[in-house]
Amino acid sequence: MKIYNMIETLIILVIVGIMSLIGNTIGSKNGFVEAIPGLLILIAIAMAGIAMGRYLPGGIPGVAYVVTLGCILTYPGIPCADFINACMKKVGFLPLCTPILAYAGVSIGKDLDAFAHSGWRIVVLSCVIFIGTYLGSAIIAQVILKYLGQI
Amino acid sequence: MKNFKLHGIVLVLVIIAELIGIHQFKVGVGVIVLLPMLYALIFGIFLAPKFLNVVNKIDMQDAGSLLGITLMLLMARYGTLVGPTLPKIISASPALILQEFGNLGTVFLGVPLAMYFGLKRETIGAAHSIAREPNVALIAERYGLDSAEGRGVMGVYISGTVFGTIFFGLMASMAAAYLPFHPYALAMASGVGSASMMTAAVGSLSAMYPQMSDQLVAFGAASNMLSGLDGLYMAIWLALPLTERMYKYIYKFKYGVYPTGEDAAK
Repeated sequence: MKIYNMIETLIILVIVGIMSLIGNTIGSKNGFVEAIPGLLILIAIAMAGIAMGRYLPGGIPGVAYVVTLGCILTYPGIPCADFINACMKKVGFLPLCTPILAYAGVSIGKDLDAFAHSGWRIVVLSCVIFIGTYLGSAIIAQVILKYLGQI
Repeated sequence: MKNFKLHGIVLVLVIIAELIGIHQFKVGVGVIVLLPMLYALIFGIFLAPKFLNVVNKIDMQDAGSLLGITLMLLMARYGTLVGPTLPKIISASPALILQEFGNLGTVFLGVPLAMYFGLKRETIGAAHSIAREPNVALIAERYGLDSAEGRGVMGVYISGTVFGTIFFGLMASMAAAYLPFHPYALAMASGVGSASMMTAAVGSLSAMYPQMSDQLVAFGAASNMLSGLDGLYMAIWLALPLTERMYKYIYKFKYGVYPTGEDAAK
């Protein structure tokens, strides 16, 4: 896998940002221009998080910093939170997924044979994983609710 | 990065997919939701040399290495979705917070089954979590999505995207009907996956227990928001290391030696 430097990373984020803007305009009721501030903030958060993941010690992946930064900046009471929340309202979550999955689709073309080979196994495995996670959580919730006397 | 053909193609896919828009229809007790991202994914696959032959090997490779960075934009949005709801989550029942450890149930069931099926490094990506967006981003960053681990996580992610919603709707009603769980516990468990999975699961529960409906929806939504945040930390510090370790021991058990070469952890 290729490692991009910070400038290349920024350019990629801007390219995907523009695509998301176009998708956001078509797919939701938000205007093109009014979504721009939100996307700029998202690009800034992503850049900051990626940089922290690369240069801070501890080996924590950039994705953890990105999510955490997004959380902190929108936590009620933080000075910029209201402004950022207002900007984010104009950027839909689903339109952001569309370009990413388009890239994913193109990339999967390379591994079609490998996917076809493990296809039905992955589908069965997915079902088991859904059941395992659901029941695992339900059991713990049941035990604790009972212990606390909430049910 | 400079592959403008690839970006152009993706832009066209995005426009077509968004123009088609969201469609949903009822199937039995559940609802199947078709999202633009799903069309974009499928169209993208069909551009491969095997089908329409629009993209070449380099385009596909570039797309794979770009993915990790493109996901960061989505993760930033994810964080801003969770942030405003954090105070509500923190003040919620401890049961809500502790049930998140149920995510580890995925590993204990998933890893042995995946390896029984003969999957190798795919197991790490596929069975470490329920494979929603943060988990895909994590695997992309750590192993690359064009690796075996990446194929594993994408496989489960795509399965979840395609039939996860209807599966969760059915599973919740079956569990409520046949297993000795309180509806509150099931509602809290409904939040383990994506928002649409949670909506479907809580929807089924609300239909069965209309008098508890508000509480069920609140528990489901809070649990879902919480999963979005701590699911990632849990994957980094608990689930992924646990998956790697189980993988190693089951590999030894199955093949007689510890994994080496391509099968070993990187």
